[in-house]
Amino acid sequence: MNILELNTCCMKFGGLTAVSDLSVAVGATELLGMIGPNGAGKTTVFNMITGVYQPTTGEVMFNGENISGRKPYQIAACGIARTFQNIRLFPSLTVFENIQVSLNKNLKHGFSDSILQLKNFHDEEREIRDKVMEILEIFDLKEESNLPAASLPYGDQRRVEIMRALATGPKLLLLDEPAAGMNPTEKVELMALIKSIKERFNIAILLIEHDMKVVMGICERIFVLDYGVKIAEGSADEIRKNPKVIEAYLGETA
Amino acid sequence: MNQHRTKIMLGVALILSLLGSFGQTSISPYYFQIIMYIGINIILASSLNLINGYAGQFSLGHAGFMALGAYGAAVITRAMEVGPGDSISIVVFPFALAFGGVVAATAGLLVGIPSLRLRGDYLAITTLGFGEIIRVVIQNFEFLGGARGFTGIPKLSNFFWVFAVVAIVIFVVANLIHSSYGKGFLALRDDEIAAQAMGIHTTKYKVVAFVTGAFFAGIAGGLYAHFVSYINPSQFSFIKSIEIVVMVIVGGMGSAVGVVLAAIVLTILPEALRGIAEYRMVIYSLLLVVIMISRPQGLFGKGFNLKKISGVFSKPKVTPTG
Repeated sequence: MNILELNTCCMKFGGLTAVSDLSVAVGATELLGMIGPNGAGKTTVFNMITGVYQPTTGEVMFNGENISGRKPYQIAACGIARTFQNIRLFPSLTVFENIQVSLNKNLKHGFSDSILQLKNFHDEEREIRDKVMEILEIFDLKEESNLPAASLPYGDQRRVEIMRALATGPKLLLLDEPAAGMNPTEKVELMALIKSIKERFNIAILLIEHDMKVVMGICERIFVLDYGVKIAEGSADEIRKNPKVIEAYLGETA
Repeated sequence: MNQHRTKIMLGVALILSLLGSFGQTSISPYYFQIIMYIGINIILASSLNLINGYAGQFSLGHAGFMALGAYGAAVITRAMEVGPGDSISIVVFPFALAFGGVVAATAGLLVGIPSLRLRGDYLAITTLGFGEIIRVVIQNFEFLGGARGFTGIPKLSNFFWVFAVVAIVIFVVANLIHSSYGKGFLALRDDEIAAQAMGIHTTKYKVVAFVTGAFFAGIAGGLYAHFVSYINPSQFSFIKSIEIVVMVIVGGMGSAVGVVLAAIVLTILPEALRGIAEYRMVIYSLLLVVIMISRPQGLFGKGFNLKKISGVFSKPKVTPTG
């Protein structure tokens, strides 16, 4: 069973076709990698899936439902969470609050309950606090919980962003270049982290990454995008040997 | 932590404002007037802080909502023909205030839904225009007195009503902001795209902030109208909106305490400077410039830390070397 299917999706901005006729499927617990040279349209694919852009043609099927055209917050509610290429934490909020926001979509209490604060309100707030602390514990960030997100070191910010996405309880996690700007040690840690997330939460992950060591090291399957077109798909070994991929990255052989 | 802490504080504040209202005749009318303006400005600044400071939606139309509340409430008390001495005013006045608030909140909703798709400067200009539209519309309503103004509003505002609302608005904003639900406002302010990706219905949050802020601005308008007993459209021009925005910025966007203090200081300051007559506004403006240069984030804005300040007075810690 595939959790996500893109069926002949096109994304056009005026005369520019950023993604053309892309069909790709992600299995329910698959770790799929997406690679491609700069400007290939990888982030555009993410934006199409998460509703930031609406595909010009084609459809995005998630969990058997057509979600193209839905708003980003609705898509997040269905169970797709993402991180961003350049970290987008809530900088002035603490690490704790960043995670707290992710639990917002399942809140039972709303505007008036939050003002009146009757008994049920405090029960739910306590539940949320416990949940946030539990997540912080898993990721070993409990001690940083009260620090503003912006004050954390870069690698930790990336981790908090992944953690925040996971806190929404997704069935599919989209990671946009999580290793960007990390040093080799951090990259190794990140690979271990992604693997452990997949095992612990048993979810599907779609990963954009430039670092071939990371992609080849953890992805079960990889597809390659070049100028908005899928040029190859397969295991790490197949991709490595594929002449089209080599051409896209290194240029035509003379 | 005590779950009922904020409620107890609200109760205490309400009792204090009731007690204070018995003492209001014992101070000079001039000081009393300043105290009332302080209260009204705290309501205006705190409610705008929810929109500008917490939800991060820069609105310049707060005086428009205030005007709607002022006229809305005044229409009710005029229709009911209540005077300051009538015992029925205890029922009619809060109803009139609430009515003014609802009128303003409805306007907030009508304006909010289309204009909150805009961001930053565009939103600021749209709300500015909207505030002016309200003023001009009122000016052309003969029924509301037009440009001549609305006269003979009963003097129903007293210390209790003003400071009861001050307590309520602070209570409402604080409870909202410290709840899980309210964190959505802060997330929206910090990064709208990320907030959406985390499942926050950002448009709804913007509208809620706008409507709530407008509601309290309307009530502040009603309190003001029933204190000065005469209102005219020019009192609610965009200068008034700017005045409220200045309080929020000087206090520190998104700092409840800072905004309250700024409302107090910026209400007293022009009065305290009356002694130097014509230089009054020059000094006032200069002070604003100095504050903005030295603390662009506002007096109590980001980076303000009580511990840090108290640390200045304590002995420096000796760090072991070697």
